[in-house]
This record gives sequence, C-alpha cells and structure tokens, in this order.
Amino acid sequence: MTGRMTRPVLAACLTVLVLLALVPLLESNYLIDLFNEIMIYALFALSLNVIIGYSGNVSFGHAAYFAIGGYTMAILLTTYEWPLLPAFAAAVAFSFACSAVVAYFCTRLTDIYFAMLTLAFSMLVWGVAFKWRLMTGGDDGFVGVDVPAFIAERVPFYYFSLVVIATAVAVLWVICHSAFGRALLAVRENPVRAGFVGINTRLMRWWAFVVAGTFAGIAGALFAMVHRGMYTESAFWPESATVLIMTLLGGMYSFFGPAIGAASLFLLERLTNEYTEYWPLVLGTILLAILMFLPEGLAGLAQAVRRQILRGR
Amino acid sequence: MRRSLLAATAAAAVLAAGAAQADEIRIGVLYPIAGTGAVYGEPAMHGHNMAVDELNAAGGILGKKIVSFARDTKLKPAAASAAAKELITKDGVNVLVGGLSSAVGLAISEVARQEGVVYVATIPKTIKLTTEKRHDHVFRTASHTDFEGDAMGQIVAKLGLKKICDIQLDYAYGHDLAAGIEKGLKRHAPDAEKVLDLRVKLGATDYNAFISQIMGAGCDGVTSGLWGSHFVNFAQQGSPFGLFNQIKYISGGEIASHEIAGKMKGDYPDNVWSNTYELWYHHHDPSHVAFQEALAERSGTKETAMWPVLAYIGVKFIAAAAEKAGSMDADALAGALKGMSISTPVGPRTIDPETHQADTGQFWGPMVKKEGVDYRVMDPVTFIPAVIEE
Repeated sequence: MTGRMTRPVLAACLTVLVLLALVPLLESNYLIDLFNEIMIYALFALSLNVIIGYSGNVSFGHAAYFAIGGYTMAILLTTYEWPLLPAFAAAVAFSFACSAVVAYFCTRLTDIYFAMLTLAFSMLVWGVAFKWRLMTGGDDGFVGVDVPAFIAERVPFYYFSLVVIATAVAVLWVICHSAFGRALLAVRENPVRAGFVGINTRLMRWWAFVVAGTFAGIAGALFAMVHRGMYTESAFWPESATVLIMTLLGGMYSFFGPAIGAASLFLLERLTNEYTEYWPLVLGTILLAILMFLPEGLAGLAQAVRRQILRGR
Repeated sequence: MRRSLLAATAAAAVLAAGAAQADEIRIGVLYPIAGTGAVYGEPAMHGHNMAVDELNAAGGILGKKIVSFARDTKLKPAAASAAAKELITKDGVNVLVGGLSSAVGLAISEVARQEGVVYVATIPKTIKLTTEKRHDHVFRTASHTDFEGDAMGQIVAKLGLKKICDIQLDYAYGHDLAAGIEKGLKRHAPDAEKVLDLRVKLGATDYNAFISQIMGAGCDGVTSGLWGSHFVNFAQQGSPFGLFNQIKYISGGEIASHEIAGKMKGDYPDNVWSNTYELWYHHHDPSHVAFQEALAERSGTKETAMWPVLAYIGVKFIAAAAEKAGSMDADALAGALKGMSISTPVGPRTIDPETHQADTGQFWGPMVKKEGVDYRVMDPVTFIPAVIEE
C-alpha cells in the first residue's frame, strides 16, 4: 500500500490506460458510453476509499460531493454559459469548499457518529437539490447540459474524460502514497498512538475527507456532462450506499481495489437489468457475500489466490 | 481491471449478436414495467403490443416486421435517460415511444435530441415538452397541462366555485398544471380566487397534513393533479374527515379513468369531476367498439383500462408517418409527423406542424354511482376538445 509503484503495477496501469484509449476503435457508441461511466464510477469509488481505506472512517454520504460537483458543472455550463475550464475549476473548487465545511463537523466525531453525520449532510444536499427547483430542476432533474462543442461528440468527450480521470487517479495515487497517506494509515491503525507520535489526527482525517470530496466532485462533474443532465437520485442515500458497496467489493485495503469493485458492480448491474428487474436482490446477495467471505474484497481475494499459488510451487 | 476487460469482451460479443438487422423496424418502448409504476406501464404495454400486432398482421411498416424493445423507466428520469440511450446505442432502435411522468418524458426527449432519434411522447403532459424544450425530433400525442388547466377552469366556472385550493405533485407535471389552471381560471372564472397552494412529493403516501390545511382554508373547490395511487391515498385519508362533502374536487391526471374507479369502488369519493382519455363504456367514435372488444380480449377483462389507447395511438402515428415518409430516417419521420392526421379509436387526431402537439381532447365529467355496479362511472360524459379560446 505504501512506497513506490512496483513495476508490475505500473505495467498493469499503463496496459489498462492503453486499452481504455483503444475503446473508441470498436466503433460502438454503447461501449464508449459504458466505459466512460465505468471510469467515472471508478474515480468516485477511489475517492471514497481515501476516507474508508486510508483514514478508517465509513462515510454514508459520499454521493453528496458527487452531486455537488455534478450540479455545479451543469448549472455553470448551461444556466450561466461558462466556458469549460472555469466551470470545471469552479465545480472542483465548490466540491472542495463544501467537503471542507462538512469535514470540519464530521471529523469531530468517529465511528457510527461520523457515519450518521455524513449521512445527515448528504440528505441536506439532496434536500437542496430537490427543493431548489429554479436552479436544479428539482425532482425533474437538471435536463440538457450544454457541453462545449469541441467535446460534444462522443469520441472527443471520451478522450477528455479519460485524460481527466487518468490524471485524477494519478494524483490520488501520489497523495495516498505520500507521507500524508502513510500518516493516515497510522491514524487508521491506532489513532491514540498516532496522536502521541505527534500526528494531528483530526487534521489528517479532515484532509482525507476533503480530498475524497473533491475527487468525488470531479467524478460528478464528468457524470453531468456524459449524461447531459443531473438528477436528485445522484445525491440520495442509495447512491452513497452503492459507491460504498463498490469500494467494499473491490477491497478497501488496496488502492486500485475500489476501481475494480466499481467496474464489476456497474457491469453486473447492466447485465442483470437485461434479465431481471430484481437488481436490489442481487446487490444484497453480493453485499452479504463480501461481508461474510471477502472482507478484503476482490483485490484481497486476488492476493490470497496468488499467495496460494506461490506456496503451492 | 482485468475483470472489467473480460466483461467488456463479453459485452462486445452480446453487441455483435444483437447488431441491427436491416429487415426489421425497431421501436424502443419506455414505460415503467416493474414496481409501483407497473400499474400504468403494464396496461400501456397491452395497447402498444396490440398496435404492433395489428400492424405486423397487415405487413408491418414499409413491408418490414416491427420489433419492440421495452425497457423499464422505474418512473425515474435518470433511469429513463440511461434506458433510452441504451435502446439507441445498443439495440439500435429507429424510434422511441412512451414515457410515463413528465419528468421522465423530458429526460427521454433530451436523449432523443442528442442522438437525433424521433421520440413520440404518449403520456407525459408537461407543457414544456412542446414549448421551451421542444426540438426537431420530439412529438406529443398526449394532452398537455395547458389544455388540462383550461378545461378545469371551464368546470370551475360551470360549478360557480369562488375559493380554490390547489394541491399538486412537486415535479414538472404538478408545477405546469398549476400554471395551466391559473391561466384557465383567468379565462373562464376570473372571479374565482386561489387561496391555497400545496405541493406534495411524487410518490407520497401520507396526506393528513395537506387535508387539514385544505379543510382549514375554507375553499369551496379543490383543483388538483394527484394521479393514480396519489389520489387513491388522498381520497381514502380525506373521506373520514368529510373533505369531499365540503368541497368540489376538480382533478386532472385522469382519475376518472376506469382503472382508478374500478380499483377504488365504494371508496371513490363524492363530488369529483375529472378527465380521462378513454372510457371503455363510452363510444365517442364508432371505431371504439371494435378497439375495446379486441383490448378486452387481450387484457382478459371486459372493463378495460385507459392507458392502452395512448400507447396504441403512439405506435399508429409512427407507422403512418413512416409510410408517408417512405423511410425510418429520423428527419424524414419527423417531417412526416408534422401535420400528420390519423383516425384513432377516440376520434381523429392531428399533430400541429409548429408545436409538434396532437389535438388530443379529453372526456370530462362528474363521477357518479350507478345502479347495478360497484364502481363509479362518468355521467354525463363531455368531450372537451383540445382548443384554447383566448
């Protein structure tokens, strides 16, 4: 989890990046949209893991920052006709600011109280999105986001999205593997001891929350553009639960685990929806299986399998 | 991530298998098929399938067989938007039809605009769909909130009501209907005064707080667009308080349809005036008799629902436009739909070439008890055409 990127990991990352860059060559609009969304959810789940996997707190309201980024982007691009870069910067800055304020209150608490407070704040955000019809479109959603002409087509937008997400993931990786990331792990493992060593544990947890919120905002801003709309569901608690399950499924003790979880869960939902409307039943079963048999998620499973094979040799 | 690549390969294989076949016409159908919305989506699918079967029996569209791809909208705009996009990019549909709830309609319309595919809105009534959110490829065969509000204004005038309470659902349809009613009142009942504005969340089940507010406001008329189960819950909770003895309840949202009357039976309150697109027991157009018989056979009940006719008309418009255009190309189809007239089981319909809106009138009247049956019926039935006289 710490240290420099090992060679196989780097190679795997580059391979995935190249393969993702080749997706538009398949000339399928469906696959382009599908991968775009998977990438967005992967970033969303990775951002949540800064709180869960690194600082050791469970957030039940992470969708709020995704929605804040998304609505800000949608409103600035469409209602106020801002150009792309200022709008994007503002969406990220606003997600940063909102999570900074919420983090101030939430990091005063730990455990279940922390989780409940994150949920409470996310419901507030949902309430604003639902009631402020004039700005957000309320229950109808913010429909029809104006995406700048040069990325309005599917393929250019896909590459734009890929560049933004790849950069964001790289930055997240650096943050998580810096001294800050290690200090966070110390806080997670033993907050009392970390405090005695001289780490300001509350500040560390505050930063983890803010980093997570900001990157969720980036994911949300891209989501608003790929869907050309933003809906209150994105701020509602089931969305927070979904990204939490993605993170758990992938494995919270691994940096890339949540991305794998996001991709798996997203594809599974799409495939399930073709055969049955009982997706929540499938989701519940998955959650049960993770909690009972895969506490470290798919990434943990992969490692265990590898260890077995090595031992078998 | 290797896992995701594997799944992607699988997805690609699925895609290749489902590649569009040139010898069929693909219609993407968007109704709520599961969950709470299924009560409306299921009958709508009956009407849709009936139209498709009739057309296929007569040789399809442009000599090609029609194949429907139905997706669940879950009554949610986000889900509808994703479903509409998938129908176009994955299933390769030529045209989209359906939509239940105004918010869903607006979301589907936006996808149709982006992807350049024709969307025929059969149920959503928000006026915005054919005004500020109108684009080249969206057409509506349902009524809209201005027609509905105008008719309600006429009824308020006819009943001589003076103090009006308005209770609406807190989403596009409710807001636009409230605006439509206000315009209707100004035209037909200028001395009626609105004393209370209430907004209820879509899907709400508890109306007690609203009922006491209405009863305390001293209005003699309530205008509303609470549809389906919203009205059922509202009425069941309001009746014990004597709400419906105190006021006249004038409602859009088709609560005069037989699915509501037949479901509520004895619980259906007094003093309700409402609308419906179709009544199984009322033959406004001679062709309705045969339509209703066929529908009764398909749905397995003599007392058929109202939603099927809307879905049925949507498909018939698409077929007529495709035959006229000679192709399923979106622009050609849109061109043909402008000014298109067809005859339907509820009378002739024409789509306005400017607004893309069909002249869909509705049946309005009081819901009364009838000897020999345990449900209420509309009597007298008045057809209010889709005309707004300034």
